[in-house]
Amino acid sequence: MRFVEVRRLHKQFDPPKGTVAVDDLSFGIEQGEIYSLLGPNGAGKTTTISILSCLLRPTGGEATVAGASITGDPAAVKRALGVVPQELALYPDLTARENLAFWGKMYGLRGQQLDTRVDEVLALIDLSDRQKDRLESFSGGMKRRVNIGAALLHKPRVLFLDEPTVGIDPQSRRAILDGIKDLNRAGTTILYTTHYMEEAQELSNRIAIMDHGKMIAEGTHEELVRSVGEEATVTLSVDRDLDRSLAIWCSVEGVTSAEAQDDRARLLVGDANAVVPRLFETANREGIRITGVNVAEPNLETVFLALTGRALRD
Amino acid sequence: MRYIWTLAAKDLLQTRRDRMAALFTFILPTAFTVFFGLLMGGLSSGSERIPLAVADGDGGVAARKLVSLLESSPLVELKMIDAAAVDKAVDDEQVAAGLLIPAGFSASLDSDVGARLTVVRVLGSTGSQSVEEAVRAAADRLASERLAAAVAVRTVEDSPRAAQVGEIVSGLLERPALTIAAKESGSKAGQIPRGFDQSSPGMLVNWVMFSLLTVATGLVMERKTGALRRLLGTHASRSQVIAGKALAMLILTMLQQVLLIGLGQFAFGVDYLSDPPALLMTMVTLSALASCLGLLIATVFRSEQAVIATTVIASMVLSALGGAWFPLEVTGPGFSRIAHLVPTSWLLDALRGIVLKGWGVPEVLLPLGVVWAFSLAFFALAVWRFRFE
Ligand SMILES: Nc1ncnc2c1ncn2[C@@H]1O[C@H](COP(=O)(O)OP(=O)(O)OP(=O)(O)O)[C@@H](O)[C@H]1O
Ligand SMILES: [Mg+2]
Repeated sequence: MRFVEVRRLHKQFDPPKGTVAVDDLSFGIEQGEIYSLLGPNGAGKTTTISILSCLLRPTGGEATVAGASITGDPAAVKRALGVVPQELALYPDLTARENLAFWGKMYGLRGQQLDTRVDEVLALIDLSDRQKDRLESFSGGMKRRVNIGAALLHKPRVLFLDEPTVGIDPQSRRAILDGIKDLNRAGTTILYTTHYMEEAQELSNRIAIMDHGKMIAEGTHEELVRSVGEEATVTLSVDRDLDRSLAIWCSVEGVTSAEAQDDRARLLVGDANAVVPRLFETANREGIRITGVNVAEPNLETVFLALTGRALRD
Repeated sequence: MRYIWTLAAKDLLQTRRDRMAALFTFILPTAFTVFFGLLMGGLSSGSERIPLAVADGDGGVAARKLVSLLESSPLVELKMIDAAAVDKAVDDEQVAAGLLIPAGFSASLDSDVGARLTVVRVLGSTGSQSVEEAVRAAADRLASERLAAAVAVRTVEDSPRAAQVGEIVSGLLERPALTIAAKESGSKAGQIPRGFDQSSPGMLVNWVMFSLLTVATGLVMERKTGALRRLLGTHASRSQVIAGKALAMLILTMLQQVLLIGLGQFAFGVDYLSDPPALLMTMVTLSALASCLGLLIATVFRSEQAVIATTVIASMVLSALGGAWFPLEVTGPGFSRIAHLVPTSWLLDALRGIVLKGWGVPEVLLPLGVVWAFSLAFFALAVWRFRFE
């Protein structure tokens, strides 16, 4: 059995007519792994995390976390687990230290042990110098770090992070992603949800792509990208005659498909390096002026697009 | 238990940080107590006596004794007038009531016929009710003196000292221990609360009900930020989280009561400490009522605005109906009956009973029991409907 094991999980809100937020979801996470759930808004990521952390009852299926059943032994699950919720579930009128100490106490820490652990976590989230300031005076990125810190006090063996980098600056995001890697190196198994494919790509050993409560693909980044072929996407802007340009480019050697998207031509090509010069040649010959060009090697975005026909971020 | 305490301590720390909380819990209540206290008679309370017209048509020893007993009562102020003028004085509201002592009163008291007194009063007026009680108390004392004297006289009829027995008996009956005891109950019973006796308990109830606001809005904020939900992921159980909230409210309102009651007792001379066990029971009951209602309001309403609006309206209605702003004694019996549909009026009955009538534990049991029934109903409803998100 894997460290986190999810079998045919199902969740419908307000049955029988409510939203099916999680639909027949199965996956497993090895101990020491970083596993990401990647999906757009409403995919069911938060619902999945809520079920796995025993805050919501599933309407079907079963799951175990660190060997304990989420329905049979929620207390054991909670002991093994740290959860960083999507929202800033903290007290703005308390200081960083008071917040951490409070959550530490709620996880059963007391006295010297609590003090030491709060110091450690403050150092880990790099806020030791601001520990006496109230949270309401913090930047978004700093609050996010405290939000993560509050889940680490009891040294959980498994950490669930629900979109921990939403709405913050690149520098804070960098710090958070590096921190998560450090935690993982120290032995923490991690379930990470995001709708940023770059994050999933950078962090994860394996990625599951979710949409409408279902898992639509799973594997390492390379496996997922290879599954949709090696084609790159070339996007071209022209000053006029978009339809005529598409018709012409369609028949250029190496182009497998061409379609209009937001006033631009979107082409899937085999080897972008060889094909792009040919596209410019034909354009010159036909008197079409190219005003912009973008080449994208295949990535998770392409995978999602290929599987759902929609962009990951809308 | 330690999780409950951790939760409550966190709430109290947040409350201490909140400047508005200090304003609503201690500063405004004090200001309002002073304001309402001065408005309703303030410092002159107690010295004000109810005017009583007395027409002595007898003039005998017993009649004069009755008049002097009434004169020493702190409750009434005597005006001696003619029997014919009594009805008019009452009708014109120059006096609250009139007392007619008929001719032959003293003689009939000594005989076996029995004496008769007439009190003229306005029907339903509480002031004149108190007067009637004062007259009855004086008459009772007079009658028992006479009775004791009569018994003694008959027993020693043949003795040469028989003539002095009457005096000896009334002398004995004047013993201070007896007199003081009679005065205490006479001066407090049936009085309309005035001044700080009215405003201090009233504002206490008013503002304790109001301060459930701080914790109720805190709970709503906690639900909004997701902290409440996050708490469920910790080692605390659902019921411990709810209990922690209730405990925080209980401690906060108890603290508030200790301060406001201390102020009432030592600065405004309100007699809260006449029976400490009964007072403590009443304080705990009031705090529990506020906590349970606060929990219920924060459970039913989702948004901060809704909670604030409901708390303000609920605490005002409960206070006004409960008699926190004006004594229920000045309202008609119909209003009083409606008022007793809300728990605060029962609570104030107990509190005023302690302050004005010297109530002890046995007397407060019934009203406090009614309040607890309300509180437990609120609590059960809150726990049943409690949502963590
Ligand atoms: N308490 C609820 N009651 C009813 N429907 C809900 C509830 N919570 C979530 N849903 C619905 O379930 C679906 C999945 O929501 P969920 O929050 O799990 O998505 P998500 O992947 O976390 O999205 P996001 O990226 O926006 O956080 C959505 O359609 C949502 O509207
Ligand atoms: Mg979510």
